[in-house]
Amino acid sequence: MVIKRLLLAAAALAALGFLAVFGASYFIGLKAASAWPVRIPPIAEKDVAKVEKNVQQIEKRLAGMLPKGLYIVIDTAANRLYLKNGEQVLREAVVSCGSGVVLEEPGGKKRSWVFDTPRGEFSVKNKITNPYWVKPDWAFIEEGEKIPRGMEDRIEAGTLGDYALGFGQGFFIHGTLYTRLLGRNVTHGCVRVGDEDLKFVFKSVSVGTKIYIY
Amino acid sequence: MSRKKAAGAVLAAVVAGFGLSSLAAAGRVAEVDRSALARKQEALTAEYGLAKDANFYFVFDVEGRKIELRVKGMVLRSWHIAGMRFWGRPDFAGTVALARKTTLKAPERIIIKPGQEESLVKVPAAKPAAGQAVTPATSADYDLEALELRDMPGKFSLDFDNGLHVTIRARSGEAPGLAARLKDAWRWYVAMPLSPVVGKGRAKTRPELELVFEDEKDPQAIYWHFFDGIKGIIL
Repeated sequence: MVIKRLLLAAAALAALGFLAVFGASYFIGLKAASAWPVRIPPIAEKDVAKVEKNVQQIEKRLAGMLPKGLYIVIDTAANRLYLKNGEQVLREAVVSCGSGVVLEEPGGKKRSWVFDTPRGEFSVKNKITNPYWVKPDWAFIEEGEKIPRGMEDRIEAGTLGDYALGFGQGFFIHGTLYTRLLGRNVTHGCVRVGDEDLKFVFKSVSVGTKIYIY
Repeated sequence: MSRKKAAGAVLAAVVAGFGLSSLAAAGRVAEVDRSALARKQEALTAEYGLAKDANFYFVFDVEGRKIELRVKGMVLRSWHIAGMRFWGRPDFAGTVALARKTTLKAPERIIIKPGQEESLVKVPAAKPAAGQAVTPATSADYDLEALELRDMPGKFSLDFDNGLHVTIRARSGEAPGLAARLKDAWRWYVAMPLSPVVGKGRAKTRPELELVFEDEKDPQAIYWHFFDGIKGIIL
């Protein structure tokens, strides 16, 4: 009888102990999980003026890094192009960016291409009216055609629309025949834009205009 | 007369009390401002270091409830944080770099191998016949063989080089089941707080941050734009 009571008391104590630990951890966890830790001690009263001046200087320097005049921003995920001047959006266009597909060349050479739109800071290298497309090797490989030897067999008119803005490494912002696919990731890395938007952007920017692709 | 004196004394005490409390409040405000100034200086210094070159960087403004993708001090994209939970105390000094992105099912690139059976994928940019009119249609009409935003995961985690583990998910993708909620409560409010005491040591006490977004497209876009090695600051 005594042993039974002792066992019961021990079990009750264990249960109480467990509940106490459980409750305490829940409380601590709830508190910690809802409060972002403050980690930087406040600056001394005597340093306030100095720090304020330093903050102003850094803000000024950061503001000086912003692109001057017109610039282009391209969101490859949303397939949007923005022509901006400072914070002001002058034009927003639905575009098509790279498909992300990998093309592997069959046979001996085993070359491969990843059809991504490059990300980073670029600038307009050249402006072309009525551009011709000089088809690279992958364009023939993709269509299962033999790669031609002569340059004349690579040139295709009309595919790139009325205008093209080159931004390096063979990439262009250009027009498209496939306007129904604007807004989707379908290209081989270039940025396709609808006719009216392309005309506006082409007429607005000049060689050297910054392009930010992310 | 004595009543008047007593009333005067009470009034004086009340005024003095108000004055003292005002002074104390002003002191607190000054303290808060100096903390905010210190934080601002640190954040700007760290950002200036990142903005010097043309690389993209992120700002996890947890207190401001937003994540931003920036370049040269310019905000490219901003995502509003709808909810958050935090555990642990990581070292936040300076900049951090994304070491790893983890998800249950990572998006895979489509590989085209011309001439092989498995390479018979629809090439989205196939040209229409010459002179054929282009009919505009909604994007939902085309199931393209491409890696797009909708292929990105809605739930994933980011591990930074300072040890911080961030879980990102959308509220809409939340599992409403009781078992899932109990498991979640156990992990956040029992297992993690107890781990330093009864766990396997420090490995279990890594700092964790859980960020919740309203729209599923937000985590997907963050997955898209946050590449391995991207640097940033956490405020």
